[in-house]
Amino acid sequence: MTVRIAGDGTLHLDGLCGSEEAEALLARLIATPGATVDWQGCTGAHTAVVQVLLALRPKLRGVPASAFLARHVAPLLNRPPAGGAARLEA
Amino acid sequence: MNEFIEQFLIEARELVAQGTADLLAAEERPRDAAAIDGAFRAFHTLKGSAGIIDFAAMARALHAAEDALSQVRSGAVPLTGELIGRCLTCLDQVVRWLDAIEATGEPPTDAEPAAGAMIALFAQGDSAAPPAAGPIAAGAREAAPAAFESWLERCLATASASKARCALAYTPAEDAFFRGEDPLATVEALPGLLALDLVLDAASPAPEEIDPFRCRLTLFIASSEPRSQLAPVFAGLSGAVEWRDLAPPAADPGEAAPDAATLLIEAQIALLRGPRDGGFEGRRASALHAAWQVLRASGRALEADALERLAASGATPERLAETLSGMLAGAPAASAAAAPAPPPEPVIADIGARSLRVDVERVDALVRLTGEFTVLKTQAAHHARLAAAPAGSGEAARELAARELAARLKSHHEALERLVGELQHAVLGLRVLPLRHVFQRLPRLVRDMSEALGKPIRLVSEGEETQADKAIVEALFEPLLHILRNAADHGIEPAAARAAAGKPETGIVVVRARRVEDRLAIDIEDDGAGIDTARLRARAAARGLATPDALAALSEEEALELIFAPGFSTRDEVTGYSGRGVGMDAVRVALARLGGRVSVHSRPGEGTRLALSLPVSILKSDVLSVEAGGQVLGLPLEAVVETVRLPRSAISRIGAARAFVWRARTVPLINLSQSMGLAPAPSPAPAPAGEGEALVVITRLDGQYGGLEVERLGARMEVMLRPLEGLLAGLPCLGTTLLGDGRVLIVLDLEALQP
Repeated sequence: MTVRIAGDGTLHLDGLCGSEEAEALLARLIATPGATVDWQGCTGAHTAVVQVLLALRPKLRGVPASAFLARHVAPLLNRPPAGGAARLEA
Repeated sequence: MNEFIEQFLIEARELVAQGTADLLAAEERPRDAAAIDGAFRAFHTLKGSAGIIDFAAMARALHAAEDALSQVRSGAVPLTGELIGRCLTCLDQVVRWLDAIEATGEPPTDAEPAAGAMIALFAQGDSAAPPAAGPIAAGAREAAPAAFESWLERCLATASASKARCALAYTPAEDAFFRGEDPLATVEALPGLLALDLVLDAASPAPEEIDPFRCRLTLFIASSEPRSQLAPVFAGLSGAVEWRDLAPPAADPGEAAPDAATLLIEAQIALLRGPRDGGFEGRRASALHAAWQVLRASGRALEADALERLAASGATPERLAETLSGMLAGAPAASAAAAPAPPPEPVIADIGARSLRVDVERVDALVRLTGEFTVLKTQAAHHARLAAAPAGSGEAARELAARELAARLKSHHEALERLVGELQHAVLGLRVLPLRHVFQRLPRLVRDMSEALGKPIRLVSEGEETQADKAIVEALFEPLLHILRNAADHGIEPAAARAAAGKPETGIVVVRARRVEDRLAIDIEDDGAGIDTARLRARAAARGLATPDALAALSEEEALELIFAPGFSTRDEVTGYSGRGVGMDAVRVALARLGGRVSVHSRPGEGTRLALSLPVSILKSDVLSVEAGGQVLGLPLEAVVETVRLPRSAISRIGAARAFVWRARTVPLINLSQSMGLAPAPSPAPAPAGEGEALVVITRLDGQYGGLEVERLGARMEVMLRPLEGLLAGLPCLGTTLLGDGRVLIVLDLEALQP
């Protein structure tokens, strides 16, 4: 469960991050823009959490423990923002 | 088979017939709510019955069709010919299952793949069909296509693209999280996930204004599993899913190289498109057979069957080649959906109905007769006692007793004769069926033919309530089928030609039945191009059936009769696996076996009419018994003209055959015992024909006279024939009966005896 702040200001996502974590994560990222998110201990993340990462694009450190996240979600989040997560044209 | 299953089969077959009729009616009259309702109810009830006998696979397959029909009923989806075709295909599968149950007594255990194929058949369709309830993310949905397409393109360019069977764009509802849904978890659980992309909707709020619990995502997914496997996962989830079915990989990995299958099919296509020379028919047949085998071996049984039916319906080689190319290009779902085109094999069981619906009055009449027979039986016992113990003694008393007994026996016999007549009548009445039984199978077949040939054709039937013996009604199916095929194939012109000729584009074939005295008259009339007798004469000449001069000398009516000539068939339809020999000669023979006749009438440019005449019941016949080769044989009396004694000197040899002159005609002579393969009687006891004489029965069939040499003549009899069944069914006999002395009398089918 959890979004944990390490001593050096890194946000750690550990274990299974449920939908309720999304709000906390969002608040943290707003409070500390530029913070790195370390998700190596993340064994699962609810869509709401991933959506926050997708919207704010913080720097990510490490490969998440969850194979699904590592294989399918990480590449999307690690793309350079400019070419970016494809956005649907309005 | 237990009674429960028997009942299930009876009712299921009726439901299939009802459902078919309703589907076709709905196609004719799309606004007719009753027809669609009827079809829906038929599927619904069939589904329920399948559930009761624990046949889950069939229930699931029917459910898929029922769902589709329910959508039509509610107006959500328009009724298309394609949908009707799919429902009909589903019913075909149901009939195959019913046949399997009939054969084994229980539901088949290997029905899953076929059920899966049916479900897949209904699952494809508009790729934009929304599968689940829930609000649609409007903006995202409309904009999705462009982004989706470009992602799909990039995706398919990658190495794993060849495995992809389907792709989808999944946009959950905005409040998906509040519903407890986790879209990513859903995707994680999908089988065969190949590629994923996540896109946010176009709005880009500032971080502080983001609502973390509002779902703004669309997920693009590519999977190696087909849509049918994935769709159920999304049932019950909110939002919208846009599907793309992708070309499948060729055959199973690990099986024989898929390329080999492709190459083989390509080779068959080339053969089908090859030059139409003398050997073409043979190559066509073997090309089809090979293609069929390859498709089956590649696990594409649905397509193999579709190909087979297309070929059996008489599609042109070009059409077959096209269909095969389509299958190769890997639109298996599309060609399976095109399957409605061809007519089914006699999947609609050729095994006659094993049960009859009977009016209660008829059964009551039989009960009454039983009572009267019982009375006669008691009388007979009385007579027997009288005969055994004559009253009084002395020559005169005995003679008187004998005369009295004779009188009683005579009146007893008369009473029996009357009762037997009534019994025959009553029993025959039980076996009577309305022609509806066979007529109701025709519209579906005509529809399939119409699609296979690409010509719009409508079938109109009249007089379906006309009744005839069950055996006749059931035996009519094949001949009617052939006649309808000919009408569709050769009679009715393509729509364009009809329009040019000032006819309505849709060809009409009318099947009309009525009772004329003690015979059944059935007309099949089309408003097509009529029969071109010039072509008939040319073809007959080409097949060596007669000299060109003889052919030219035929009148128009006689030339029309050429279509009945053996070996005349205008199209070679023996495909090896369908194995049907056709031609109007087969129709004539089949009808003759029932005691029927067929004649043809045609008006060039206006149409053709085939007139069938059949007995209403086949069981009672007048027979002349004869002896040949030590056997008693029966000859149908209607074929017998005369019996004569010929001096042997009057018989001439012509080559290996013999003939004689009778009433200024030359008549061929056949020795009956020889032609039946019977040993000649060792020594005819009281020389029936004197040393120098032959006993000859002169027969007449279809205007041809013949002579049958026999050893002895017997009596004329009226008999009730039992048709030969099982192993004996192939013999040239109309049936058998028992003689008074217990011997079996075989009644010959003289047509079949002709050399």
